[in-house]
Amino acid sequence: MTAVITPPAAKPQTPAKRAGRRSGIAPPWLFAAPALVVYALVMLYPSIVGAGSAFTDWSGVGEQRSFVGLANFQQLIHDDQALGAIRNTLLLTAAIVVVQTGLGLLLALGVHTTIKSRMILRVIFFAPMVVSPVMVAFLWKYVYNPAPDAGLNAALNAVGLGALRQDWLGNPSIAIWSVAFTVIWQCAGYSMVIFLAGLEGVPQELHESAMVDGAGTAARFRHITWPLLAPALTINVMLSTVGGLTLFTQIIAMTNGGPGYATDTLSTVLYKQAFVFGKFGYSTAVALVLALFVAAVSFIQLAYLRSRETAA
Amino acid sequence: MASEIIRTPFSRRRLLQLMGGAAAAGALASCGGGNSSGGSSGPLKVIGAGSQEAGLRKALDEYKKQNGSFEFNLSFSPADQLQTALRAQLAAGNAPDLHAVYPGNGSAMSMVQLSKANLLADLSEQAWTQKIPAGFKGAYQQDGKTHIFSPGTSVLGAIYNKKAFAKAGVEIPTTWSELLTVCETLKKKGIIPLALGAQTPWVTQLINYALVPGTVYAKQPDFDDKMAAGSETFAGSGWADAMNKYLELQKRGFFNDNPNGTTYEQATSMVGTGKAAMAVQVSAVLQAYRAAAPSPDDLGMFPLPATDVAADNWIPGGIVVGLGVSAKSKKADEARKFLEFCGQPEQINAWAEAVACVPLYSEGEAKVDPVLKPFLPYLADDKAVPFMDQRWPNAEVQPTHFAVVQELLGGKTTVEGALKKMDDAYKKTA
Repeated sequence: MTAVITPPAAKPQTPAKRAGRRSGIAPPWLFAAPALVVYALVMLYPSIVGAGSAFTDWSGVGEQRSFVGLANFQQLIHDDQALGAIRNTLLLTAAIVVVQTGLGLLLALGVHTTIKSRMILRVIFFAPMVVSPVMVAFLWKYVYNPAPDAGLNAALNAVGLGALRQDWLGNPSIAIWSVAFTVIWQCAGYSMVIFLAGLEGVPQELHESAMVDGAGTAARFRHITWPLLAPALTINVMLSTVGGLTLFTQIIAMTNGGPGYATDTLSTVLYKQAFVFGKFGYSTAVALVLALFVAAVSFIQLAYLRSRETAA
Repeated sequence: MASEIIRTPFSRRRLLQLMGGAAAAGALASCGGGNSSGGSSGPLKVIGAGSQEAGLRKALDEYKKQNGSFEFNLSFSPADQLQTALRAQLAAGNAPDLHAVYPGNGSAMSMVQLSKANLLADLSEQAWTQKIPAGFKGAYQQDGKTHIFSPGTSVLGAIYNKKAFAKAGVEIPTTWSELLTVCETLKKKGIIPLALGAQTPWVTQLINYALVPGTVYAKQPDFDDKMAAGSETFAGSGWADAMNKYLELQKRGFFNDNPNGTTYEQATSMVGTGKAAMAVQVSAVLQAYRAAAPSPDDLGMFPLPATDVAADNWIPGGIVVGLGVSAKSKKADEARKFLEFCGQPEQINAWAEAVACVPLYSEGEAKVDPVLKPFLPYLADDKAVPFMDQRWPNAEVQPTHFAVVQELLGGKTTVEGALKKMDDAYKKTA
């Protein structure tokens, strides 16, 4: 008896694998290479070179610069303006994350119904998001006109709430909340869209079976909708946190950090240090601290929220 | 389990991928601006400050008329945005050939700061530089070299609406007490005595600048030298008197409601329309006020009295924002030729007249805007003090001044606290 041994047929190779073998680079990296090169050139290289300025006294123009070690970081610790800006940044971020996310969820639940106007309402709520933040800031400057017969003050007066009229952007105790409201007004629709996407993915069968078991609206939201919205909540909280911590455009356009230092944030401080005070080195130190802070907060948030998603 | 169900229609990764793509596209788009002033051919690229527009445009048009082949690309920026955009271009090495520069020191775009970084061409060879009065050399020169062209001196005082004054039956005040009486009368007539747009940062400084020549420099003409030597402070000087007077105007209700929430444009409109009677301003913005009034003749200007001693009422008079030639410009020779042209007496006169300033020099009688005539005796008697920031040692004192005035108006600090912050900023290195 003769046994005939035939070699196993060679597996047909995909074109991508063949190309990868020729170049010695695995296909995923090959595909990513153009984007990585661009990213390295326009993001990584300038960032790394720029970070070096944090250890110098460079003014931002000219060639003169000296190495000053950690002096810029030591100055940051003792800089009352920067410390006030950190406080403002945290206050703004907290307000934006809580209110924008909450409002976005309410809007999403409101338009995730069978009412006829739901599509129009979705467009209306999302519309501010497609307007430039600078334009929004200038529009709201008109709304916040401090004159008693203009903008929001006039509206309050017209409905008998004249006692609530304020110098919305000129009062140091109120200005920061006026800016926060503007940001929330613009971005709540964005949060709504993310929550809507999450709501679309909640299986209707779960709601139907819960209803059969006698669960009411609140119980179904608590035990079905809310846990299943965990990924949408993760993204919303992450995006609004990063947006709040790095908020710049609306502040510069509406208050320029004032009155006094009442609405200065780390972003406006680093901008002023670089372009107004001519202290690019110190500004870069502030930027590095801000970047590390945002990264740390984002990492902690992501770890917590993803653990919550898994639990759900 | 539940999270798996939701991931099918809704992927976080997909969303983040899309956002990353959008960010890269944005970064690429922002890098694609290009530099229109890099070559030695093409038009001369000029960026001016908004307050220069009337004079600079006139000078460029006239130069083009006389030099048919001359081409220019002109744009303007408001003062607050100018230094951001220009500094970014200077840092990147693609500054315009000719750009706005602030005289003296004290701002990140000032002549001293930029010339120390070797970013401005030397103009010392030009004929007009020989006409710079000794008292103004610090505004034009660093280390003996001239780095900026400016058409002359702007004064600072009260722009007033003549109809509002007539309606209230008041005359131009010549002492501080008279000013308070005039304000009281205007207020009783329902007219806002002083329009203040303190939400616009640079406006915050003007009342102090108008008062300090009287409360500080009339008694101590060498105050700046003493500050530089460390033997004087803002807190221990007549600056405290000036700031207390600023606050007195607010406490008596002589400003419009909510000055911290009011912009320069709104304040301009108030005076132009007669809703407010006065605004403390530089003469360089007279054109904007005239544009807001039914007739340009409705407006006049007078020195703001700071004290009750007439002899002590000096005025602030500073060299106006000028032009510098970028040291790295490939069209530096062409830019220099244009400035040489601007320095001719008839051109200086025309520019000065257009921006309501007193010309740097004149051959024969200078053409001065008639509303500036009340200020001319002070200039002739050497009772004019350059705008204070022009001798401050770094770019941080002036923005600190803006901020502390807003804090004062908002009730968030005291005069002592405000001046201490200015002293702290002054002591920082350049």
